[in-house]
Amino acid sequence: MNQYFLKKECKELHAFPHVLEFAFKKNNTIQFGSLRKETCKFLRFYYVVDGRFDWNIEEQHYILYPGDLAIILPGQCFGGEKDLLDIGTVSWIHLEQQELEQQGKLAIGNWSRLSDTECTTIGKMLLVSNCQVFPKLKDAGTILQTIHKEFINQEIGYVARINQLLDELIILVARQLTRHNNARRDFPQAFTKLEQTLRADLSHQWTVDEMAALVGLGITAFSEKVKGFTGFSPLNYLINIRISEALKLLKRIDVQITDIALDVGFYSSQHFATTFKKLTGYTPSEFRKKHVAPSDETA
Amino acid sequence: MECIITIEIGTGAIRIVACTMQGKMFGSLKGAYPTFHEKPDFSEQDPEQIFITLLYLLKNFLNDKIHPKNYKVVSICFSSAMHSVLPIDRNGAPIGNAIVWSDNRAKKESNDLKNSELGKSLYKETGTPIHPMSPLNKITWLKNNDKDRFQATKKFISLKSYIIQQLTGEYVIDYSVASATGMLNIHTLNWEADALKHSGIKTERLADLVSVFYSPKKIKKEYQKSLGLHDKVKIIVGSSDGCMATLGAGVWGDGKATVTLEESGAVRVIGKEVLQDEKQRIFNYLLTEGNYVSGGPTNNAGAVFEWYAKQFGDFKKAFDLEDCMENLINEAGKVAVGSDGLIFLPYLQGERAPIWNANARGVYFGLNIKHEQKHFVRATIEGILYAFYNIGKSLSEHRTYTSLSANGTFASYPFWTQMMADIFNKPVHIKQGSGSDSVAYGSFLLAATENGQYENLEEAAKTVKLPDSFLPHAQHHKVYMKHFEIFERLSVKLFDEFEAIAGLQQDAGN
Repeated sequence: MNQYFLKKECKELHAFPHVLEFAFKKNNTIQFGSLRKETCKFLRFYYVVDGRFDWNIEEQHYILYPGDLAIILPGQCFGGEKDLLDIGTVSWIHLEQQELEQQGKLAIGNWSRLSDTECTTIGKMLLVSNCQVFPKLKDAGTILQTIHKEFINQEIGYVARINQLLDELIILVARQLTRHNNARRDFPQAFTKLEQTLRADLSHQWTVDEMAALVGLGITAFSEKVKGFTGFSPLNYLINIRISEALKLLKRIDVQITDIALDVGFYSSQHFATTFKKLTGYTPSEFRKKHVAPSDETA
Repeated sequence: MECIITIEIGTGAIRIVACTMQGKMFGSLKGAYPTFHEKPDFSEQDPEQIFITLLYLLKNFLNDKIHPKNYKVVSICFSSAMHSVLPIDRNGAPIGNAIVWSDNRAKKESNDLKNSELGKSLYKETGTPIHPMSPLNKITWLKNNDKDRFQATKKFISLKSYIIQQLTGEYVIDYSVASATGMLNIHTLNWEADALKHSGIKTERLADLVSVFYSPKKIKKEYQKSLGLHDKVKIIVGSSDGCMATLGAGVWGDGKATVTLEESGAVRVIGKEVLQDEKQRIFNYLLTEGNYVSGGPTNNAGAVFEWYAKQFGDFKKAFDLEDCMENLINEAGKVAVGSDGLIFLPYLQGERAPIWNANARGVYFGLNIKHEQKHFVRATIEGILYAFYNIGKSLSEHRTYTSLSANGTFASYPFWTQMMADIFNKPVHIKQGSGSDSVAYGSFLLAATENGQYENLEEAAKTVKLPDSFLPHAQHHKVYMKHFEIFERLSVKLFDEFEAIAGLQQDAGN
């Protein structure tokens, strides 16, 4: 079992159109060019079983030790720091995956039991977290080892089992991501981080699922926490941020009201106007008229 | 039925409370907003977010609690955190975020001024200790370091002034909040010329000074309509959160002091005289003409205990800090008074009163091999309260007080309140279920006085009843004092080492 390598044309992979490559490799020799930096259109997982690996992901240098998992998103560049594979043992899998869209949806395909919303959420988390290496993630090693065995033995039900294990790997990474982002102790801190993420991409139609996942809580617990901490439901809090950003832009004459609406995350200027008026009593254009002219009664 | 609504624009949240004309609270609503730290020393808040939060809360509050029961709102009384600076342009639009009290960017400006003759005289005239918190130093910082913004600023106003201006169109600042800017002469009630000269501005670039009882002429029509308020509702400018907490705790004149235990804290008294402290340890803020709230603030109250809990507490449920803190307090109860000789200096965020040393840092002192984790918990709480006692001690050089009234989130833990009584060796009174109610109640008293229900604030303060009291235990007090002596000495003795370690930390941070 020292070497194991499956490529797209292998018959073992016929039942898995979504698996482009699976490998368990013990590398004994250093060969220049054995792991060149490449940008790929698929999702890649690399797990270090043994040894020490100098890798480069998106022009960042990482050193990986046994138990560490690297994840490379579609469109990201990955390879050996010196374009070669170091001595040691490593296991990897490549999954078919369209490039994450702007919205960040993970489109992994029909084989997965993850729902559409979950895929969107995980995709968004992967994109915003900017986390490539998970140190000491032994569970990932166990999953890859089990997949390896299933491929070799091909016992009854192995297709379903492998797909389940792939789901499990993705779920493991998603959950690890939220643990990684906060220690589940300091809610104010976790919430501040979340707020920064929301503000950095205000035009995105954030859902409660996505927000809860970023903090690492279930939806119910998350909503309760936010309500207790801020006094608002998560969506109302988000509307407050949107409107306060809109207020700032309305005071700058050079920005069109339609653009403001979309920039701060309303799906139409109508939606923006209604929400704005409900809260402030002004329509956005009335507000602008009252607050921008230097001849304002208040000046 | 008639009612009064109070609105507190606090450090991290707005709290709205409704009271009957007799002062019975019958509804409240809270909404939080973030503090941004773009750089380590920066603390800023978004004025538009605070305004929107206020509108949202007030509208919902009126629609849920007030309008359906046909309450007639007599007045809406504001209070706010002190020391904020918001630069606005000639159109009244904010230029960037507001710089809030905890912002330390003006460290250099503050140190330079503090050690000068001008600094000493400004402290005497304005009552505000020379510190990065005060708008005097913040505006000077803008002048020195952000010239474009400084130039473009038509007015430097407080967050409360901004909110009130948005609602009513008037730029006003009450004497109370103004007296915490470091630029108001608290004896003459005019802006202090030397302070303005130092920060490079003229009176026109500040809001108009008004009494805490002042109400702007009208609420803008659009807001009257969207909030469903009639045009007779008075907006009362009100005072600061600190002054209101003191008033609401029934403190007035000799005999009483109040202790506020929130994330940060303070010990305060009210009186007719300005307490002129040679060492510049004490603030003197104006409540109303001739009445001063004097005292000292600490940076390291509840925030430090929360820090301890987050680092070392046991979180059985994700993010359940309350539960974690309660368990820790139970643990602390299992240790003898004085934590078997373990002493904690709580200066994690530098310290204001009485040592006024931004470089001060936390210390556990006296560790021996028999100390367990529970000793750390108790020592942490004791250290936080020693710091309060240290403020109280400097106040008692100027004013005698025989009892304390406690308010704030952490005052609602009996363990803390009892320890405070023991350390101060004075009875501590607390309102049942007291949260941040003191601020709201102080604002109610102010509004009711404005409405003619009390002759003046002194009469209003006398009506405050504080039923629950914690009596001091003389034996415990003795033990605490032996430890406090060491605490007090360490707090000044380590001056050079504090400076050195703060320097290293700053280097590491860059």
